[in-house]
Amino acid sequence: MVGRILIALAVIASAPAFGKSPLDTLTDGDLADGERLFRIHCARCHGIEGGGGDGSNLARARLRFAPDDEALIGVIGNGIPGTGMPAIWTLDAEQTTRVAGYVRTLGRLEEEEMPGDPLRGMQVYQANGGCPACHIIAGAGKGIGPELTHVGDQRGLDHLRQSLTDPAVTQSQTSGYKDYLTVRLRSTGARVEGLRIDEDAFTIVVRDIGGTLHSFRKEDLVEYDKVFTHSLMPDYEGALNHRDLDDVVSYLMSLRSE
Amino acid sequence: MKRIFFVMLVLASQTHAEVTYERLRNAAKDTNNWLTYSGTYRSERFSALDQVNTDNVNDLKVIWAYQMQPATNAGNGLVETTPIVVDGIMYITEPPSTVTALDTRSGKLIWTWSPDMPAEVKHIGFPRVNRGVAVLDDAVYVGTLDARLVSLDAATGAVRWDVEVADNHIGFSLTLAPLALDGKIIVGVSGAEAGVRGFIDAYDSATGERIWRFHTIPAPGDPGSETWEGNAWQTGGGSTWLTGSFDPELDLLYWTVGNPAPDWNGDVRPGDNLYSCSVLALDPDTGELKWYFQFTPHDTHDWDANQIPVLFDTDFNDEERKILALANRNAFFYLLDRETGEFLHGNEYSKQTWARGLDENGRPIVIPGSEPTYEGNLVWPSLQGATNWFSPSYNPQTEQFFVATRLMGAIYYKSDIEYEEGEPFLGGGEQALSGDDAAGAIRALDVMTGEQQWEFMLHSPPWAGVMATAGGLVFGGSNEGNIFALDAATGKPLWDFQSGGAVRTNPMSFAVDGKQRVVSTGGSTLFVFGLD
Repeated sequence: MVGRILIALAVIASAPAFGKSPLDTLTDGDLADGERLFRIHCARCHGIEGGGGDGSNLARARLRFAPDDEALIGVIGNGIPGTGMPAIWTLDAEQTTRVAGYVRTLGRLEEEEMPGDPLRGMQVYQANGGCPACHIIAGAGKGIGPELTHVGDQRGLDHLRQSLTDPAVTQSQTSGYKDYLTVRLRSTGARVEGLRIDEDAFTIVVRDIGGTLHSFRKEDLVEYDKVFTHSLMPDYEGALNHRDLDDVVSYLMSLRSE
Repeated sequence: MKRIFFVMLVLASQTHAEVTYERLRNAAKDTNNWLTYSGTYRSERFSALDQVNTDNVNDLKVIWAYQMQPATNAGNGLVETTPIVVDGIMYITEPPSTVTALDTRSGKLIWTWSPDMPAEVKHIGFPRVNRGVAVLDDAVYVGTLDARLVSLDAATGAVRWDVEVADNHIGFSLTLAPLALDGKIIVGVSGAEAGVRGFIDAYDSATGERIWRFHTIPAPGDPGSETWEGNAWQTGGGSTWLTGSFDPELDLLYWTVGNPAPDWNGDVRPGDNLYSCSVLALDPDTGELKWYFQFTPHDTHDWDANQIPVLFDTDFNDEERKILALANRNAFFYLLDRETGEFLHGNEYSKQTWARGLDENGRPIVIPGSEPTYEGNLVWPSLQGATNWFSPSYNPQTEQFFVATRLMGAIYYKSDIEYEEGEPFLGGGEQALSGDDAAGAIRALDVMTGEQQWEFMLHSPPWAGVMATAGGLVFGGSNEGNIFALDAATGKPLWDFQSGGAVRTNPMSFAVDGKQRVVSTGGSTLFVFGLD
């Protein structure tokens, strides 16, 4: 069902809508330059093939913040306030257009095929995996880890699978889900492990795995470690069998805004 | 009631004295006021007030706040103003080019003025900012984002004169606080990212008539032109977007120059590209160049030298010297003889990976392969530099130099570029390291040796300057909203305040009714702190 809807949307998106797009005149050479610039500016967050990472999956026909080509050019040039997407101001107008053109070619790539059954994956997600204990989808669940309501827009297949099998590797260090760094703190009164919610030169706020917020003055800390190699997200490699993993990944891929 | 009002007006007007050139020359002794952008012509950004000190700073609290008005004209921008305080009145700028006068006792508005500015005003390579005003006699001077210089009546904000400095359509803007000298207003321009040819101007403070102009990129035949090839000088950059310093005894004006254009592709402009990334010593009456020192020859990382030149006199190697100190964006700290431009000392004060050091003349020994490439090349510091426009501070009592430092590398790349009028002229860019891969620090240096005495770490690379005081304190700010005071002797934090918005200004201090005030901003709110 979801796949069919996506195909229909892809057809709609590829049809000329309102007048000419600024991307229409791009040559193959322009697109090659757009790819080169994409690798420099965008690939670190969006993945070398645009499949997502810290940044959204761009290998899709429809992009949430860029419903048309003008909007896509605007997003590259101006960023998206409130997200990890910065304004790429060092690109001039032509370069921005070329990058936008290359991003649209990613959207015309064949959709990643789901490795399993999303409906069964939903059951695994809710039951065996115990995922709602830490994640919210469409308002249901507990908000310890990232909300997953539209995670299918944001992350591609490989990233989603690795989030389950090796979550420490996929947790963002740069932008986007930056609030999910594991920290371990010890003050005179307590030892806390949790997710760094906020930090400045004088204070740090941490949410523990039970959802409780802890606010510290740094001068009161005896220990403070950033644990880049560890995620509070359990490792499901082995905990779920192959079929369960494929199905949960498929379910997550199906969680889209459209 | 009416009579009381009249009496108060008279009192208020009596407190408003004119800011003569003599007052500006002696600003260091006028400790209750803050008369120029950097406090004095020496640009120490040091307050001799010591009422707030290491013993009581923990009691500092907000006395009043002023919320800048968003979108008063043509949209928002970032707040980077340093207030000027004259006899009970504070003059600030609000982004992009508004001037506002406030009562220093209460924070209440006296007047505000905004220029008519076209909606399509250009600002290529920098945000919609303004760093403050200059005052001279009974006027306030402001540069505008659309590259005009305006004189306002200090009492009412009425326009005295309004002149075009340069053409905004090709990328010129004014974002700096002008510098007032004897009957002259000195300004520089922004715009190197649009490939402008930079200059420094002097205007008659009474009429707005231009007295001289010094082009920072020499034309063919002029001294320095041998460091350019072909027509590259015409779009060579070298903007002058930060307030300079002045030595009235030597009668020399010191002004810094920004990057050559295009920024990251140096192939199209072989040579040292004078006077980009330099400090210039100019005759303030004629604009004649007396000497120059280039920090970063043939820069390809956008390391403008637009930092504050700090002037002080000291016994250097058993010889009395008049010194110019500058912590450069390229991560080196320099001491120059400000009479001659002679290089005296230089050392790395922040992480860098592009030079092995400086030679005996202060020229960097560049590590091969540290230039931007088409594929990208990781180099420290990032294009934003080891520091940037925000001010350092010098405490003459302890000979300490304080600098807000950005610990951040970037992957630099270059690309092919052709000049197009009024468009970005960059030739590449960067992917800066971010998140926990970057940080910031307030560092204290021994001004004679450049050696680090202490550092106070910040969560991210800062955009706010520092101010030292005779109270043994160093004030600073962070992107995360902290406004804070450190013990100047140790770097230990003694007081902090969460302002709720990124701090992007330089702190300053003044006194009213015998009470010391410390000023900073967070987001678009200006905070005035005091003990009571």
